[in-house]
Amino acid sequence: MASSSSSGLTFKLHPLVIVNISEHYTRVKSQMNPHPLTSTVNGVENQQPAPRVYGCVIGVQRGRTVEIFNSFELLYDPSTHSLDRSFLEKKQELYKKVFPHFYILGWYSTGSDAQESDMHIHKALMDINESPLYVLLNPAINPAQKDLPVTIYESELHVIDGIPQLIFVRSSYTIETVEAERISVDHVAHLKPSDGGSAATQLAAHLTGIHSATKMLNSRIRVLHHYLVGMQKGDIPCENSLLRQVSSLLRRLPAIESEKFQDDFLMEYNDTLLITYLAMFTNCSSTMNELVDKFNTAYDRHSRRGGRTAFI
Amino acid sequence: MDIEQKQAEFIDHFVKQASAQKGTALVSVIVEATSHPSLFAFSEILAVPTFAELDGTENSEYLEVLRLFAHGTWSDYKSNSGSLPQLVPDQVLKLKQLTVLTLAETNKVLPYDQLMLELDVTNVRELEDFLINECMYAGIVRGKLDQLRRCFEIQFATGRDLRPGQLGSMIETLSNWLGTSDNLLISIQDKIKWVDNMSELDKKHRKEVEDKVEELKKSISAKKLPTVSRLKLTSEGSKRSTLNLVE
Repeated sequence: MASSSSSGLTFKLHPLVIVNISEHYTRVKSQMNPHPLTSTVNGVENQQPAPRVYGCVIGVQRGRTVEIFNSFELLYDPSTHSLDRSFLEKKQELYKKVFPHFYILGWYSTGSDAQESDMHIHKALMDINESPLYVLLNPAINPAQKDLPVTIYESELHVIDGIPQLIFVRSSYTIETVEAERISVDHVAHLKPSDGGSAATQLAAHLTGIHSATKMLNSRIRVLHHYLVGMQKGDIPCENSLLRQVSSLLRRLPAIESEKFQDDFLMEYNDTLLITYLAMFTNCSSTMNELVDKFNTAYDRHSRRGGRTAFI
Repeated sequence: MDIEQKQAEFIDHFVKQASAQKGTALVSVIVEATSHPSLFAFSEILAVPTFAELDGTENSEYLEVLRLFAHGTWSDYKSNSGSLPQLVPDQVLKLKQLTVLTLAETNKVLPYDQLMLELDVTNVRELEDFLINECMYAGIVRGKLDQLRRCFEIQFATGRDLRPGQLGSMIETLSNWLGTSDNLLISIQDKIKWVDNMSELDKKHRKEVEDKVEELKKSISAKKLPTVSRLKLTSEGSKRSTLNLVE
């Protein structure tokens, strides 16, 4: 399939769609009957081919901007190579009642690349939307890859070998978030450390987060500093409005300075230290208790005749 | 920020007007500019060359007024009021607002007494009204009024025009800030390394203890003699128990 850029539409994708597609795929994959790993063939173990899931994406098109808000699943009928039409229409009606502005913008699927058979489904959807979108999610986890494994394809009529054919062309997109989506994505992103490890790794992860944030602030202050020094030397013409803004920014330091803050801060700091100390105390005393019990048990075996002489 | 954006068009407008006119017409430009409700920045207007010509003439006092609005306060005006022309009430209001901004430059917490002195206001109610209506709603100042402790805590204040010497002190402040954040970064990195080291040590220690326990278990299962075992058991039992506790 060709991979040139598209007709000039700008695409905005919401994270909800990506989460939906990945959730659909994960669910289907985990519900598949666990296939016993077949015998090694040339040293390579065979696993079942990754299932493909299909569905529809809906959203709004305003002028040249296409914004994809939501998606829902569809059943794929392998015999007719098409999606379940009646179900699609039912779902479309239901969604229309709740979101009257959303239209069906296209469909989605999973896999690593767009294939020939996808064109059938694409053409089938062309009667709902004259230029549908094809959103493809690549479920293979590639730790080296930095971008999202999501591609959006449009269809264009190209003349190949004298026959006008529809082919898929890749288009670029941006991610657009609503506040609610940002919060949930943020939450999911922060879940990773607690999955992995001990207190040490969590602490290290937290500190690394703070470190990178401080580093960003540092680099920006450095830019400002450089700019002001340049202005002082005379390399850069003085721009008063920027200078005013910088001076108002500098006025905000130190961030909090009243006595009351110091009092509260020290009180909370001392409370935390006290509690850590108490916890350690409790730990030590329980360990000591266990030690005494074990000694008693050990020495009991020695003197079997009544007289329980405790060690301590 | 947004104050600057709002001001930008007015500044352009006045600069154009000022460069287009001369002499006494400039006086009216000055008066208009200084009474405009959303304009707080005058250094661009001051920089227009036609003002420099005004300096020698009889209208130089208006130039002084413009300079006062750019850098001075209400108390400056009062002490020099002999040599400066009368101000329209709009200008008085603006000068008072600018005074608040100047006070905000030095302290983050402004006591009511000082404010009342600087602004010529006698009771707290009037002061608070002035602060709320003229300063906070205009958006030039953001902060909290603490009536119990009679002070005004400022979180954000728009910048005033810079005096030539202020650039140096701003650079110094910025370099201090940079230095502090660099130190902070270094200490965070050290802490991260320390965390990693401690977890390494902990894992090693755990592994050592477990290895010892395994060894002992093997040695005990090797020697299954009943008579000797009791003594051995006790010493080994205590050894085992101490190792368990150390774990």
